[in-house]
Amino acid sequence: MRYILRKFGLLLLTMWAAVTLNYALPRLMPGSPADAAVAKLSQNGPVSPSTRAAIEAQLGVPSGSWWHQYVEYLNTVVHLRFGVSYTFFPQSVSGMVGQALPWTLVMVGLVTVLAFVVGSLIGVAAAWKRGTWLDSLPTLSGAFLAAFPYFWTALLLVFFVGYVFGWFPTSGAYSADAVPNFSLDFLGDSLYHAVLPALTILLTSLGGWILGMRNTMIGTIGEDYVTFAEANGLRGRTVALRYAARNALLPNLTGFGMALGGVVGGSLLVEQVFNYPGVGHLLYSAVTNHDYPLMQALFLMITVCVLVANFIVDVLYGVLDPRTRR
Amino acid sequence: MTRASGRRLRAAAAFGIAATLVATGCSVSVKSGTSNVGPTTLLVGGADSGTPALFRNFNPFSPNKRNLTTWMYEPLEVVNNLDGKETPFLATGYTQPNARTVDFHIRQGVRWSDGKAFTAADVAYTFELLRSHPALDTGGVWQHIASLSVSGDHVVFHLKNADVPAAKVIEATLIVPEHIWRGVKNPVTYTDPNPVVTGPYTLARFTPNQYTLEKNDSYWQADKVSVQKVVVPGSSPDLAIATQGYDWAYSFFPNVDNTWVKADKQHHSYWFPPGGIVGLLPNLTKAPFDNLDFRTGLSLALDRQQIADKAEQGYVKAASQTGLLLPNEKASLNTAIPNQGMVAQNTSAALAAFAKAGYTRRGGKLVNSAGKPLSVNLTVPDGWADWMQGAQEIIQQLRAVGITVKLDKPQPAAYQQSLQNGDFDLALGTVGGSGSLYQDYNNLLNSAFKKPVGTSTASNYERYGDPATDALLERFKTTTDPAEQKRLADQLQSVVYRQLPEISLFYGGLWGLSSDKKFTGWPSPQNPYASLMTWGSTPLLVMTHLRLAQ
Repeated sequence: MRYILRKFGLLLLTMWAAVTLNYALPRLMPGSPADAAVAKLSQNGPVSPSTRAAIEAQLGVPSGSWWHQYVEYLNTVVHLRFGVSYTFFPQSVSGMVGQALPWTLVMVGLVTVLAFVVGSLIGVAAAWKRGTWLDSLPTLSGAFLAAFPYFWTALLLVFFVGYVFGWFPTSGAYSADAVPNFSLDFLGDSLYHAVLPALTILLTSLGGWILGMRNTMIGTIGEDYVTFAEANGLRGRTVALRYAARNALLPNLTGFGMALGGVVGGSLLVEQVFNYPGVGHLLYSAVTNHDYPLMQALFLMITVCVLVANFIVDVLYGVLDPRTRR
Repeated sequence: MTRASGRRLRAAAAFGIAATLVATGCSVSVKSGTSNVGPTTLLVGGADSGTPALFRNFNPFSPNKRNLTTWMYEPLEVVNNLDGKETPFLATGYTQPNARTVDFHIRQGVRWSDGKAFTAADVAYTFELLRSHPALDTGGVWQHIASLSVSGDHVVFHLKNADVPAAKVIEATLIVPEHIWRGVKNPVTYTDPNPVVTGPYTLARFTPNQYTLEKNDSYWQADKVSVQKVVVPGSSPDLAIATQGYDWAYSFFPNVDNTWVKADKQHHSYWFPPGGIVGLLPNLTKAPFDNLDFRTGLSLALDRQQIADKAEQGYVKAASQTGLLLPNEKASLNTAIPNQGMVAQNTSAALAAFAKAGYTRRGGKLVNSAGKPLSVNLTVPDGWADWMQGAQEIIQQLRAVGITVKLDKPQPAAYQQSLQNGDFDLALGTVGGSGSLYQDYNNLLNSAFKKPVGTSTASNYERYGDPATDALLERFKTTTDPAEQKRLADQLQSVVYRQLPEISLFYGGLWGLSSDKKFTGWPSPQNPYASLMTWGSTPLLVMTHLRLAQ
């Protein structure tokens, strides 16, 4: 219990630090939200001096000292009030995040879990059948795919699978004329649209899990207790999964916790390439437009999720491996 | 109007793959689909974009409105920004009885899309709305207007000063219905989800990925409108535009002949007229940029066409140093300026000018009298890929005459801030192209915008100031005599040509693509009644010109 409490105190402290960083970092970027809006408008021609004045009046550019703004900010964070987005004025920040989050959670979230499970299983198999084609094929192709930058994989998929063969849609999360709802038709449509972005993430992350699992697994296979289990005549699959893999999984679990926490941040480049209406896409536009309220909400959400995921992994570790509790 | 957006870069990357494959001899045939939107429906691409999804905002005064709001709400007159020509819409015309008064004659027989009659009272209400909510006044009309009055079907604007060019600012205001907007609690945050309009189209269907406009059958010039429906996807990557049966699109296409045109040689065409001038802004408060001889040297050292070709793939021409968009504004050209204001590269003359400014060449480098080599910063916004290409070429050309140029590439917002605060040596920037000669020269030259470095200004970023030029601008602002206006425009061209407050490089293009498979009557170099811009009010001109193809 003391172990959990100590970890929880640490969680609160890091959260406070993260929240403060969230406040400071966007404001350290040169240029104001109005500058960003003017720069964006000037892409479509000269911006008249009065337009800038109107934009500043609309956005209500923050005033008062940094300290004053900081206290204000902490207050809004505690009450989860994030105000109105500058980029999508007059849409509320929570409305924007609420719209984007489900897409990311489902698409990136499921793929992350899938990649972890499938990758780890392949890693176990590869280590168990060391030296056979069952080892070399997934290990080599995994290393090969993981070495690809994932936006490049995404572009290749868009071009060949999307345009040249025309098998899957290349952009968006659902058909252009569909309205999001919970009908089977719509779910099918959005699944169809999720195939390419999901495949991109799966292809590029699978290799990491395979290699990680295989390498720790090879270490545990050499342990005495595994040899002992084998000598006792237990079935190969039982030894591999129940004895060796269970221990080998621990380091991968940390990575999995981080990856899960990172899911809410979306997969920025993949979402950009596929024009997927998720959090990564939203984050990109928030940052490029100096949208403080939106950035703060998104960064807060991401840091909190990463921290909470880490906290859970820490606690789990303590349960699985008593040595860490000290 | 000249810029690459993130969307464009992403699409360009996908195209990059295609181009690479083609270049390496790998033969790929992209499956060419055609849109199934119907023979009287216009599919328009690159007109709007949603991140992460389209947000239903049709408030005509919001900078974040859906772009096609301007295809539904109408202004008093539409200005063709290529040549400044005005076409009457909700007004049938205006008179300027004197330099302080503009009298708009409001069109009769126009109805709002909900059936109510449109009157001069709606016009007056709209302007009062902008007065009581400065955040909505993005056109800045109340910087010109003192008061307005309605008499019958006339709306008369009394201006703050003698201000002839104000008419062009006032007439561009989109007019909203009083009977709807009167009931709106906060017009600044109002999203106007179901706009009631006077224009050729009304909103038919809205989804987060795409929206559709339908012809307004009670439109006052309905007989001129042939397109029954307009479909606007929130995302239209270049590959889709090229292959999927788009009728109209606005997008910078790498290698446009091999992509857009090749997809349907019989019907696809493009037209990239100049929409602004991309030039070097020298910081006139800093040495040596405050020295005219030095600026002359810079101007003579550059091969403008080569920079244009590098930056924009040969789509646009080198720009005239008069500040005019040629050939659009040819009628306004000062014929006394040699060669239409085109400045040719002349390295020896450039070196002579640098010498007069106190910089001589030693060991291939320009050095000042103390022997210190000259080094300057060039500021370009990060991520604007075409400008970056142009900047690389500028750097090479200036290095050839002995100037070391360091590239400074801040994020767009920081770039904007540097310009406004005068925190740069040389910067790439856009000038001109508003459709009003007065506005173009005023924004470039008026010393009213000349704020000290460190203080933000909204225009004249190079901080030019000259009482004689201010006097020219003042006279331009106050005269209603076309002959006098022409004389003043001639003199202002001479100022830009001789004083080099900015060094014009190349024209920023308006990247319009059209297909006459379903509709004909598109604007073109032969018939330049508008550009192929998909935003702003000029699409109203296009949509009243298009005819069904036979």
